[in-house]
Amino acid sequence: MASSSPKYNSNSLESSSIKRIPKDGTKWEQNEEIPRLPGETSITDKEVIYVCPFNGAVKGRLYVTNYRLYLRSVELDPVVILDVPLGVIARIEKMGGASSRGENSYGLDITCKDMRNLRFALKQEGHSRRDIFEILTKYAFPQSHNLPFFAFVNEEKFAENGWMVYNPMPEYRRQGLPNEQWRVTFINEHYGLCDTYPSLLVVPYNATDDDLKKVSAFRSRNRIPVLSWIHPENQAVVMRSSQPLVGMSGKRNKDDERYLDIIRDANGQISKLTIYDARPSVNAVANKATGGGYEGDDAYPNAELFFLDIHNIHVMRESLKKLKDIVYPNVEESHWLSSLESTHWLEHIKLVLTGAIQVADKVSSGKSSVLVHCSDGWDRTAQLTSLAMLMLDSYYRTIVGFEVLVQKEWISFGHKFASRIGHGDKNHADADRSPIFLQFIDCVWQMSKQFPTAFEFNEQFLITILDHLYSCRFGTFLYNCESVREKEKVTERTLSLWSLINSEKAKHTNPFYTKELNRALYPVASMRHLELWVNYYIRWNPRIRQQQPNPVEQRYMELLALRDDYMRRLEELQITNNSKISNSSASSASPSQMMSHVQTHF
Amino acid sequence: MLSGSKNSFKIQQHEPGPALRGPKSSAMNSRRNKNCQAFPCIPGEHVLEAAAHVRKIVRSRDGKGSILGTLYCTNLRVAFVPEPTPGDAVGAPRCSTRLHSEHDVALLCIRRLVAVNSFTKAKVLTASSTLKFIPEELILYCRDFRVLRFRFHDSGLEPRACQVTLAIVQAQGSSSVSAGMWYDTGAIRNLENAWLSTEESSSSSTLLFERPCDWEKELRRLGAAGWRVSPVNERFDMATSLPKYLWVPSRLLDNELKRAFGHFNARRIPRLCWHHPGGSDLLRAAGFHADSDPEKEDVRSVEALMLAGHAQCVIVETAVDLPSPAEIQLSYLKLRALCLPDSSVADEKWLSALEGTRWLEHVRACVRKACEVAVLLAERSRSIMLQESDDRDLNCLLASLIQVLSDPHTRTQSGFQSLLQKEWVVAGHPFLQRLNLLRDNDREESPVFLLFLDCVWQLLQQFPASFEFTETYLLALHDSSYIPFFSTFLFNCQWERDRRNQHRASNQIYAPVNGWREPPPLEILQKGGRLVKEKGGPYLPTIWDWALRYTTQQRSQFRNPAYARSRGSTTVPNGKSAPLGGDKLEAALSGSGTMYLFAKGALSPQTHLFPWKNGSLSKKGWWRAQSSESLSEQDRSLRSSPSGCPLQPEGLLLPASVGPLIRLWRRCYLRGSQEVQRGLFASTLGELAEELDLLRGRLTGEGTC
Repeated sequence: MASSSPKYNSNSLESSSIKRIPKDGTKWEQNEEIPRLPGETSITDKEVIYVCPFNGAVKGRLYVTNYRLYLRSVELDPVVILDVPLGVIARIEKMGGASSRGENSYGLDITCKDMRNLRFALKQEGHSRRDIFEILTKYAFPQSHNLPFFAFVNEEKFAENGWMVYNPMPEYRRQGLPNEQWRVTFINEHYGLCDTYPSLLVVPYNATDDDLKKVSAFRSRNRIPVLSWIHPENQAVVMRSSQPLVGMSGKRNKDDERYLDIIRDANGQISKLTIYDARPSVNAVANKATGGGYEGDDAYPNAELFFLDIHNIHVMRESLKKLKDIVYPNVEESHWLSSLESTHWLEHIKLVLTGAIQVADKVSSGKSSVLVHCSDGWDRTAQLTSLAMLMLDSYYRTIVGFEVLVQKEWISFGHKFASRIGHGDKNHADADRSPIFLQFIDCVWQMSKQFPTAFEFNEQFLITILDHLYSCRFGTFLYNCESVREKEKVTERTLSLWSLINSEKAKHTNPFYTKELNRALYPVASMRHLELWVNYYIRWNPRIRQQQPNPVEQRYMELLALRDDYMRRLEELQITNNSKISNSSASSASPSQMMSHVQTHF
Repeated sequence: MLSGSKNSFKIQQHEPGPALRGPKSSAMNSRRNKNCQAFPCIPGEHVLEAAAHVRKIVRSRDGKGSILGTLYCTNLRVAFVPEPTPGDAVGAPRCSTRLHSEHDVALLCIRRLVAVNSFTKAKVLTASSTLKFIPEELILYCRDFRVLRFRFHDSGLEPRACQVTLAIVQAQGSSSVSAGMWYDTGAIRNLENAWLSTEESSSSSTLLFERPCDWEKELRRLGAAGWRVSPVNERFDMATSLPKYLWVPSRLLDNELKRAFGHFNARRIPRLCWHHPGGSDLLRAAGFHADSDPEKEDVRSVEALMLAGHAQCVIVETAVDLPSPAEIQLSYLKLRALCLPDSSVADEKWLSALEGTRWLEHVRACVRKACEVAVLLAERSRSIMLQESDDRDLNCLLASLIQVLSDPHTRTQSGFQSLLQKEWVVAGHPFLQRLNLLRDNDREESPVFLLFLDCVWQLLQQFPASFEFTETYLLALHDSSYIPFFSTFLFNCQWERDRRNQHRASNQIYAPVNGWREPPPLEILQKGGRLVKEKGGPYLPTIWDWALRYTTQQRSQFRNPAYARSRGSTTVPNGKSAPLGGDKLEAALSGSGTMYLFAKGALSPQTHLFPWKNGSLSKKGWWRAQSSESLSEQDRSLRSSPSGCPLQPEGLLLPASVGPLIRLWRRCYLRGSQEVQRGLFASTLGELAEELDLLRGRLTGEGTC
């Protein structure tokens, strides 16, 4: 053990995977069915030893289905249970050989995408691990074996249909669009203009479809500047795009220049258009070598360009790797803070938040329209626009509103979930993988921590989203863009994650939520105020986890129930009292009158 | 020294110092400025200077703002009184009579004064400095991590700005110069009188441990049957730094007891702190005296004291693993420098700079050690003695922290205050030296007490529903330790505290009974005076009189609405204590020896009852060698034990002390920074609690009609 002193769990309701069975639990059957979703089928099972980094070796039976890996310990007190969707598996390795010595040295080592590793030891005789290795590999990486994602065989039923949550037209209408300055265009209906954009786009009224086509030639992967959000009062807008194709020779494009000027002009302000290039300036310059670049002063005199210094996907991936090294399996003890600093994870979070704050502030206080882009406009750009929108628009801070935000800014605008997460793909070292979406959720968590009453959803909501980002149980995060999703008929053939969440909303609701309209939230993006999200990154460590459920939340729920009870009893009493003394003129306020005096928060 | 500039003022020109001026001149000042009459002085306080139309700069996350008002400099404090805004109800009670409000700062709490003018660099002002420009902004850096900023009227040429600035500089300078004579200044004497009237308002449920009945009451609460209250030190003739009353084993007579004193440093013998319902006893004592002779017969009473009727006694060397007071001070200074808004540390280097202060490391060490001892206490019936060389610093911290972990009663506000009285105030923690309230000697300064508050805050973070009080309360306590008007933190031990107050009593001339203002009629005076003498109570109030400084509204934020009174009894944890230790630990303990040494998380048997003679206490090597092994055994046994639950049935809290869970107390240390963080709790929880009270009231009303 790297940690060298007695530590007592803060929470220690054992790890969620360890359940205590009463001593007289003889009814517990070894062969009891493992939990299965409709559509889930058992593939195999095997005696293994689970080498738990926290509690030592545990003898148990490992079950593999087409959805999950499930382990139950042979010992009943405490019974150890592991329940891991195969989708979180990034890599399966064989450890040790047939002749390896030492206890539990022969078996499988599984690296997961959710900050943990699993290690199973098997008997060395008779190549016992070969079958299980092959089966696991096949079902964990279905895309590499011509198998469908589990999402396509999942037969769950939910009361809510999550696919109905987002529909671009009502969402734009909610924002007051189209209006005199902005129109909805169907130019991309068949993904002819840009194959990674959604079919429906909002563009300046004064730009024709023909203009858009010309502009698309000058933007990387044809991702032209389109509207993400419009300020309800000052009409300033948040636009998103990819980089201009300036190249080494410093090419210019009159159509692009004019298009940006139309955007600047649309909210009737004389100020310049503000362009936020999410990259560090050196990277932006370097991109010229591959045909990209940024908007130069001479070509765009009416625009101001700022670089936001956010690093690329490779830097983020390495940073998270370092973070995992210091928190799993053991938490770095001796120099925790400097180790944390050396991962730079929080520093990246800070830069993303700082960038989003600038965007939001420019739109809200500066009353100026902004254009956000990075290289291709599907990673850092999505982070910035969605976070800025979260700061500016309280609708996105509700459960459904946040689902809309993710659906719109991330899924429909082509954040490459398939490449970044590597769903069902065995190529664990793929350089395209990167925790960009995780970083976004972390930023949201930081905001919810600083504004505990501003969000309708709780921490569990964010963790659930991240769990199913990997699980492949829902179609929500599958594939890279809308055009592919349409081809694969995702909405018809799979379920949406929002179906699950919206069917059990109470579990994901923040009891302290106070509805507030039209207040822009600016989190403090300073290292002094950012925190590591312990409940996510270190959640597998049974000694770290905080008390769950949060006792303060629980207490609040109790008090709410108590209030309802009081209200009911008060009403009853009043009815009986009123009937008793109906002749008396003494009138007492009814509970409903009462409520007008007492602040209610819902 | 006077430069040619017409705007140059030399501070010395204002001699004699304002503090030395009589009330007459202050009256003159008052006449000079109409606003002064509006200022609610406390008796003995007089306004030295005032400036109207000053803006106090308040920054919040909602933007930058300021409050318009008048800035006062008195002989005790710098105060800012906001101008009533039209929205305020006429005659709304002002809370400005309170000594501590967010706008006030005691002169002794000001650490640094900086004057800013847009044309010159910021200038740090000391009593001997000259002010060569008219300040536009005055920045007060307070010892309690607050930073107050005042902006003078835009015209900038207002002479008031200079005058009030100079007055503050001068008053602040003389307040520390005259610190040695603090008690004898007229101000403090009058102040004392003024407090008397409010004494009744002190929360009577807090045990001050100044009278034997408090000790008896607490002993009954603990159910410590084998113990009694001994008045052996009633006249402080056994040990001046110890409390008057001690808890000692019942069967040990005072005569035998007296023999034990000589064996301990400063005669601070082992005595009971807390009794675990499972039978264990927690004791604290100073180190063995160097001249103590183990061959002497009276060593038996020492033995009887330490074992306290148990078969085993575990000696916990408090200083091992914990920082020394000097280290704590060093770390605290670094932390304060780092947390200042103008700290030069780059944001990217913040985490390592924070680590570099070692403050959190010290917090972690304390939490961990307290946790280990709390487990030892719960494990089996034994006596555990915390031993620190002088028993006045980290023993206070450790003894009280262990009780907070073990005894739910100490997590109520009155229980916590009683605990602080018992283990810190009357136990002789040298508050005056450590907090250096009078700023007369920096050498002994060390915020051991503030480190303790930080530890408690950590527990509050990890167990948010287990405490009756809130972060706001801890913050108020933190701030109180910088206010030099209370007996609690103004003395080094109870003997000093008593002596000072006795002295006052004999000089007592009058005792106003109704309020701050004027001397009451003669009869009441005499009555009151007699009353005071009979009661023999303190003349300076304790800080527990929260009503003196905090409004009802502010005090309501001391109560944690999420507090879930522990199931079962609220007084002591119930009897059954599950054995926490593993078999191996038990086996190690069942050996023949009766004395064990506990350090680095491991127990080692002591062959000699009095190890100070064979020097084993100083030979650190031998137990370290074996400690790592037994440590991991204990670790494992603790993990696999069924008692992993943090809130044990008997109310034991076992906090985690790993890096990510020991956090910086931002609301305290980062207060001076520009971004203000909003409170710990969602306001809705408090509001809901209020609403429930209202409904409950209505419900009873309806029920009875």
